[in-house]
Amino acid sequence: MSTLPVRAAMVPITRRMRAYFAPMNRTAGTPTIFDPGKYGMFPLDQPPAPWLDLGWIDNFQRFCLTVTEPLRAGAQGAPTAQFHKPLDARVEFDFREWGKLQMALAGGSEHMNVLASDPNANAQPSGGTPVAAVYALAGSTANLIVLGSGAVPGFSVGDLIAVDADYAQQIGYVGTGISAAYVSNPVNVNQDANYIRRVTFNLGRVAETTVTGLMLAQPLLGGAPAAGVGVQKVVAFVDREGGSFFQEWSALFVAEEESGGRVCFHYPRLSPTVSVQTSMRLSLTSQAGSAKAFQREEDVEVAAPIGALALRAAFQAMPHVDENDGQTVVCYRSYFPAAMAGVY
Amino acid sequence: MQFTKDSFYMALQTRLAALNPQQTVTLSGATRPAVIVAENELVIPIVPLPNAFYIEWGAAQVAARQTGSRELMEMECVISYHTFGTVESGVDRGRTLAALDTELLTICQPQHTSKRDYTQAPSVDVGTNIVWTAPVLGKVAGSEAPPNQALPRGTEGVRLERVVSLKVLFFPEVTFL
Repeated sequence: MSTLPVRAAMVPITRRMRAYFAPMNRTAGTPTIFDPGKYGMFPLDQPPAPWLDLGWIDNFQRFCLTVTEPLRAGAQGAPTAQFHKPLDARVEFDFREWGKLQMALAGGSEHMNVLASDPNANAQPSGGTPVAAVYALAGSTANLIVLGSGAVPGFSVGDLIAVDADYAQQIGYVGTGISAAYVSNPVNVNQDANYIRRVTFNLGRVAETTVTGLMLAQPLLGGAPAAGVGVQKVVAFVDREGGSFFQEWSALFVAEEESGGRVCFHYPRLSPTVSVQTSMRLSLTSQAGSAKAFQREEDVEVAAPIGALALRAAFQAMPHVDENDGQTVVCYRSYFPAAMAGVY
Repeated sequence: MQFTKDSFYMALQTRLAALNPQQTVTLSGATRPAVIVAENELVIPIVPLPNAFYIEWGAAQVAARQTGSRELMEMECVISYHTFGTVESGVDRGRTLAALDTELLTICQPQHTSKRDYTQAPSVDVGTNIVWTAPVLGKVAGSEAPPNQALPRGTEGVRLERVVSLKVLFFPEVTFL
């Protein structure tokens, strides 16, 4: 009997983990699904749409907090069956690269764009009354914002801009393309026409100006803007300790395949929380002071006193019903064996 | 990597020109601020000039615990300088060396500068900064005097030299996929 040669090494070797996130449809409650059959071995720097590459991450940890309880019977009390206690899983890691999305995910609540302020406006910690918006004209695309020749001189190469509609007193999720916040009452946001642009993920960096428009370095995440949406300069990002909104995103983590086999972890729904250590200790002890605090940032020493700041992120995995069998699950771990690797 | 080396050199040279415009050297017929990158000069066996800062580059590697599409790298840098003092007797050579120490510490502040592509004119900002550690001033060594066991550093010699080391941190132009 002859056997075909198979690759002896069946150990996934990796040195880094890469994070990809995709927005959920918050109104419908539907996640973005990563189908390993369709996209599994995608080039790591070219994720399939709408997945967004958020860079290499550090200290990646997955926690299964779901425990099983044996059902016992007989004089010996031997286990005869098992059942699951409440489903609970979390994931934690450090974003090593900072950007709008990384900050929003690590912060967990509404993430604010600090709009360029009117010099006479009152000071506000997330930005005061902004300089008035200018409005996009028809013909704009995700990479080109057509403003007309009169408005273009107000912008320069290098400017960050927010591109989104005026807030029209609606109730519900706001933000083009990605739900950035939930407004339950227009009064809460001062009925501010600029509110959506204060939180939107629809941002761009001006790479070039033309006679009539702004060319962006990266496409807008919300796609081509409709005529009439507002454009304002953004000077910084702010997240806050507090806030009532929970970000919720679909996530994919890929262990870089050094030895040929790729491992992916897909969480259809992730919602920010604090670290397992912190919450576990809080629940196990009556004194909150004994819990290890969740550190928002880590100072990764480079050459003391120089260090790199990493954004600590922790997420609660939310349930998803797998349509193939109706099971409620929170995470999918997929493995793509290296070519000619053994099956077992 | 070349952008990093050029940017560090240009930062020190520009700062020295602003701090002490008289601190110049003449090399290859051109007078310029007294900051010299040895590897950029003509290969001729000349003795290094006194009262000038010579930059030499050493090993480079990815900084520990750094990751990302642009992993932070560190490169060793040595800056050496020597003096004979300003008078023929050389009695102020220690003070002159101290003045050079002060100048170097001053032009190393702030400990960062923008990384620019100096292969183009005008130079182009390539989007990140380079950062360096605080300079470590090595021991003073004297030379050009008869050996004297009572003065093991040789500082009775007319030539006083200092070697300063630091690390320059930068994001390379290479994207790590």
